Amino acid sequence: MATNPSFMNGVPELLILRTLEAGEMYGYELVQAIRTKTNQAISLGEGVVYPALHALERESMLKSRRKLVNGRTRVYYSVTRKGEKHLAGLVRHWQHITGAIGLAIGGTAHAATAL
Amino acid sequence: MPQPRFDRLSERLLHAGIAPRHVRRYARELGDHFDDLVREERAAGAARELAETRALSRLGNDDALAGAMLSRPELRSLTSRYPWAVFGIAPLVIPLLSAVVALYFEIWFITHVHGLFTYLTGQPPGPVTAKLATRVFTAYNTLAVYVVPLLFAWAFAWLGARQRMAPAWIVTGVALICVLGGFQELVFYDKGYVGGGVLSFQSGLLYFAPRTGWLYSPHPHFVAEFARAAMNLAIAGGVWWWFTARKKTSSAMRLHTARM
Repeated sequence: MATNPSFMNGVPELLILRTLEAGEMYGYELVQAIRTKTNQAISLGEGVVYPALHALERESMLKSRRKLVNGRTRVYYSVTRKGEKHLAGLVRHWQHITGAIGLAIGGTAHAATAL
Repeated sequence: MPQPRFDRLSERLLHAGIAPRHVRRYARELGDHFDDLVREERAAGAARELAETRALSRLGNDDALAGAMLSRPELRSLTSRYPWAVFGIAPLVIPLLSAVVALYFEIWFITHVHGLFTYLTGQPPGPVTAKLATRVFTAYNTLAVYVVPLLFAWAFAWLGARQRMAPAWIVTGVALICVLGGFQELVFYDKGYVGGGVLSFQSGLLYFAPRTGWLYSPHPHFVAEFARAAMNLAIAGGVWWWFTARKKTSSAMRLHTARM
């Protein structure tokens, strides 16, 4: 599904933090995990995940470390305590929005639990 | 890995002001991601060329990759956000600070060596030691006023070139450092008796003349300082010209080799 960029504000951060909550990953791994998690519903160029990772790291919500895997150096990212707190806020926010949209279109407010 | 593709993207991001460390890391991560995607496509049965085409398509086009980075102003470098501070104000402050640091070191050294000498010999240093100290510190001061401004000029040129700043900013920073650094004087001498020593910092551009009461009047060493500033500018300009010529030659060589 093509995704409206303006409606995606904050979504990459939410997906990245939520996915990395499970454990540290490098970029490619992370993108594949997000694709699986969202059932490929969100379609973005895979490369655009890195600026979001850099920005989150700069805000101390993620930390990175280099790790040698199969002879190649990978940059692994993991969530910090600050990132966990921010994620909790983002999840509440999106649950509120998806709940409101669910009500507006006449369904029930349960959509957000899929994250 | 399609390195030239990421080289072009890197240049575009650097020109747009993204910090070099983020650009380098982005290009490296994209390269690794591309390799992983090619491997995945190959494992799924695609031929090499098709696998690379699909990998590039999944990664995102140049505009999308650049746009994702440029939409985050927090990833821009301080140099590109505040060029007036980096190339306009810092070169005014740095020569002064470097002179203060050099002076502080001399004071610290003299105090400690004087104390140690007195402790070991039971008497304060005499004229012979004072003469030696004058020679050593004169050499140190000469080094500080001749070499340090050129090192800072090089640092500013490197900083600007690394961020692909407009040449006008780089030239401003380098010229300010060369001129202000050239007009600085660090003086030390010791005649070996109490009240017979001098340790001072002067700038020919900010010279206060007590006799006239004017804020500025020609410094006693104005001509020598002017010559040093001109020499700094000539050296910095020469190095700049040499690097530019070398870069042009190597670009032409690459183009020639590529055409053969």
